Amino acid sequence: MILSPDDPIAALATPLASSALAVIRVSGPGCLQLLGKLAKGARPPAEQRRNRVSRFTICDGDEEVDEVMLAVYRAPRSYTGQDSAEITCHGSIPVIQRLLSLLTRIGFRPAGPGEFTQRAFLNGRMDLTRAEAVNEIVRARTDRARALALQRLSGAIESRIGAAREGLVELRAGLEAAIDYPEDVHDGDILDRGILDRVIALLQGLTSTYRQGRVYQEGVAVAIAGATNSGKSSLFNAMLRQDRAIVSETHGTTRDWIEGTVNLEGIPVRLFDTAGLRETRDPLEAEGIRRTQQVLAGSDLVVYLVDSTRGLDAADENLLARPVGTVVIRAWNKVDLPEARPAPPGFIAISATTGVGLPDLEAAVALSALGGAPLDSGEPLIDSVRQRDLISRALAALGRLREGRERGVAADLLAVDLADAMQALGEITGEVTTAEILDRMFASFCVGK
Amino acid sequence: MGVRTDADFDAVVIGGGHAGIEACLALARIGFSTILVTQNLDAIGRMSCNPAIGGIAKGNLVREIDALGGQMARLIDATMIQFRILNASRGPAVQAPRAQADKQAYAALAKLTLEQQKNLTIFQDTVVDLVLDSRGAAVRGIVTDRGRRIIAPVVVLTTGTFMDGKLFIGEWSAPGGRLGEPAAMGLGASLRRLGFSVGRLKTGTPARALRGSLIPERMELQNPDPVARPFSFSTARIERPSVPCFITYTTPETHRIIRENIHRSPLYGGKIVGRGPRYCPSIEDKVMRFPSRERHQVFVEPEGLGTEEVYLNGVSSSLPEDVQERFLKSVPGLEKLVISRPGYAVEYDFLHPTQLFPSLMTKRIEGLFVAGQTNGTSGYEEAAAQGIVAGINAALFLQGKEPIVLSRAEAYIGVLVDDLVTLGTEEPYRLFTSRAEHRLSLMHETADIRLLPTGRAVGLQDETALDRLSRKKRGIAEVREMLRRRKVAAADAVRVPVLEAHKGRAFEQALRDPGLTIAELAALEPALAGSEAAWLSLAEVEVKYEGYIARQEDQVGRFQALEAKRIPPDFDWDGLVGVSAEAREKLKHIRPISVGQASRISGVRPPDVAILMVSLKRDGRQRPRS
Repeated sequence: MILSPDDPIAALATPLASSALAVIRVSGPGCLQLLGKLAKGARPPAEQRRNRVSRFTICDGDEEVDEVMLAVYRAPRSYTGQDSAEITCHGSIPVIQRLLSLLTRIGFRPAGPGEFTQRAFLNGRMDLTRAEAVNEIVRARTDRARALALQRLSGAIESRIGAAREGLVELRAGLEAAIDYPEDVHDGDILDRGILDRVIALLQGLTSTYRQGRVYQEGVAVAIAGATNSGKSSLFNAMLRQDRAIVSETHGTTRDWIEGTVNLEGIPVRLFDTAGLRETRDPLEAEGIRRTQQVLAGSDLVVYLVDSTRGLDAADENLLARPVGTVVIRAWNKVDLPEARPAPPGFIAISATTGVGLPDLEAAVALSALGGAPLDSGEPLIDSVRQRDLISRALAALGRLREGRERGVAADLLAVDLADAMQALGEITGEVTTAEILDRMFASFCVGK
Repeated sequence: MGVRTDADFDAVVIGGGHAGIEACLALARIGFSTILVTQNLDAIGRMSCNPAIGGIAKGNLVREIDALGGQMARLIDATMIQFRILNASRGPAVQAPRAQADKQAYAALAKLTLEQQKNLTIFQDTVVDLVLDSRGAAVRGIVTDRGRRIIAPVVVLTTGTFMDGKLFIGEWSAPGGRLGEPAAMGLGASLRRLGFSVGRLKTGTPARALRGSLIPERMELQNPDPVARPFSFSTARIERPSVPCFITYTTPETHRIIRENIHRSPLYGGKIVGRGPRYCPSIEDKVMRFPSRERHQVFVEPEGLGTEEVYLNGVSSSLPEDVQERFLKSVPGLEKLVISRPGYAVEYDFLHPTQLFPSLMTKRIEGLFVAGQTNGTSGYEEAAAQGIVAGINAALFLQGKEPIVLSRAEAYIGVLVDDLVTLGTEEPYRLFTSRAEHRLSLMHETADIRLLPTGRAVGLQDETALDRLSRKKRGIAEVREMLRRRKVAAADAVRVPVLEAHKGRAFEQALRDPGLTIAELAALEPALAGSEAAWLSLAEVEVKYEGYIARQEDQVGRFQALEAKRIPPDFDWDGLVGVSAEAREKLKHIRPISVGQASRISGVRPPDVAILMVSLKRDGRQRPRS
């Protein structure tokens, strides 16, 4: 639901955890006056100069609760477009909780999810694609993801959509002229094919970035699989740059999968070490293998390891031949050993213990995660389902439009599909507003941003 | 029925043009004693400009006016002298009927209709002022040039181009509303005094000439459609003579003459301050603004059966008379032209229509309604559409009822009125189909389905009309049913070869083939052949364009969701925290009745709309305002 945009609100902007400092944000008309009831300093918060950080004491009656730093921002030049402040307090959980409850007591309402950004949108400080980008920046787990979200915050998507909309406006003008001035426009000229194709290509370019955008934001799950003792746990540790998994010469050491997180070229990768696949009578190991199958099924990518000193055996061939539904990267491990045989075609030669070939493997994982296409650096990535769905809706309408044009469908009918496409694009940037859009948009936001 | 014993009438309508006719008939027919005051009774229903009714979007308006219970369609049905369906190639939704009118016959029939109308008095005088109540907040009647006071609780203002009108031909100018008719002086000044924002607009008309001076062989003949179809849903068939028009083109010589004399144009010489219509420009505008166009079309149209005068459509001009004569004679077919009346420009007062509610009542003065060219529109049909809206809402106002506000998805009239009161206009406003978002829902053939029940509810349509509508709806349903049941037989394919590919399928399925029309199917099936043409064509559209219609309905649904979010009339715009200063000013001025209307105001941005929605939601949760 949409919350009242002018109540004073407060929320913790940093995680509720013990740390050196914590930041509480407040916003709303009159919030600075309200803060004066708690914050005692050289002068009241409401008279504080803007964009200046000053020391205050938070008092509950006569009791001094905490020494804080207060940054004051005034409407309209603040994040939300309203008077706001950031209180930097000591990061102890009892202090944070005490401050939050004091704020509530003097009239602040705990902010709902995304409410600060919602206010920024309502006050015209940003369009919807930028508001979504803010959310992504907060949630970004790698620098690359953060950089991409920042690019969106600068309005890169808005400008792409704007260009597409401009093309559609031009088409609409031509179509309407054909309808309202039939004598002046020839039948062949009612819809410019060149412009239509250009807009479709532009939007298709944006949708194809969706998957990549998602990959940077959400990351991928990569499982390391292979026969027992093919070096899966060694590779796992090597990729994680830490000794997480137990490594031994004994076949079947890893009985259950373990998970670690690593940043591969900006992509957050959840890496799974799994139990080696082999026939076994040991019920514990059999259970491990069953779990391995589950992990494999849930992974986006599988790195399949083969011990180069033993070569491909029937079991490997069997497993690799079976379609698994996920992308499989083949690695030829232990190439540092003298008994290593040469890598067959399609295998990446590595040594998990010496690190030979590891960069190649990691690059291959990153490339596959992005769908095999390297990232085109210029294109902004869309990564919200909402944007993707709306672009798909626009593309579907434009597809019908192009098809109708070829069939010689009348101008007034073509206009229906054109209107559909324009509506969808307008909803992306928020030029076309519905209450439903706002509700859906802001429901997924972090509190405090 | 009288509502006030101390009043002379229930309603006064000022002006006997196309808006005034519909307004006074609606009021009188609903049952209110009404007086029409106009400067010249013989000018009632006069067509100041082109001798035609209808056209793209305008034809739809005429049929909507008819569905509501208005007069325009019946007048043209009885006086047309040529009929065509325009835009046949641009699709089912934008086709529109247009007819050449016998001008004198049209005006005479309009006057006779008013004379014979019960509850209606017509009276010749010039209105110079309004009478207001002691608070100055409600209208109480009018004052005429000859000093008569006519007291009534409702006044409908439809002054056309007459309010402080001024005519221009080259260097010559004089007060006037139409060539040969005096302007209505004084009323514009009193409206300004009352605080209304009054602006100036300009429009123009071409020269008229004598038919005998034309050289028809040098022009193209434009033939009418073989069958004339009625505008009114109550007219069974048209039995009228049909007269052809001619088409010719301007030449480089025409353009040279105009360019060389452009400094003598009152428009280019700076004498006219009012803005002219971009959509219906004078020939001097066309030549100056589009220098690369080699020629412009000229339609030569008859003015009537009882006259030899013809109208030169497309060459409206206010250049000096000698220049007009020279450039016209440079057009093929017009070399020996004898001009009977010169073209001229007219500049007149209009009220900025954002000062009106969607009911067309002014926000400033209760009981005062404004319609037609006075609101900045151009065109007979646009005027008549506002006239009937103002008439109906004036009647509802007298009855103490809520006004009728037609939605943009329901009628072109809704689009027209919403555009005027929400966006205003700075040039003469003409309706285009492109102003409507949902054209497929606004086909002229469905005007009765959309609006006749409303006409019935306000008392302008009778049971007979309602029965006719039910018969039509039933007829369409029966055609659909027959199309679903009847299968394509081998014998059918022999007669209509396209059907070869559809043997064994239902007619309905076959009809989706773009190469097949319902007329071809109707010829094969007696049960279809008996249906009326309108039923067949509507059923055909439903079948052929099912997908488009469904998508359009989705769009309408989304659109109506915002229209349905009503804003209370006493909404506190100053209490709306967070909207931009510009948006607040606009919202306070327009006072939109729904979130949808608010979202269309220029200067109101999506975040402003979002804030408004939030605020309405919150108010809805709290106690109702007292």
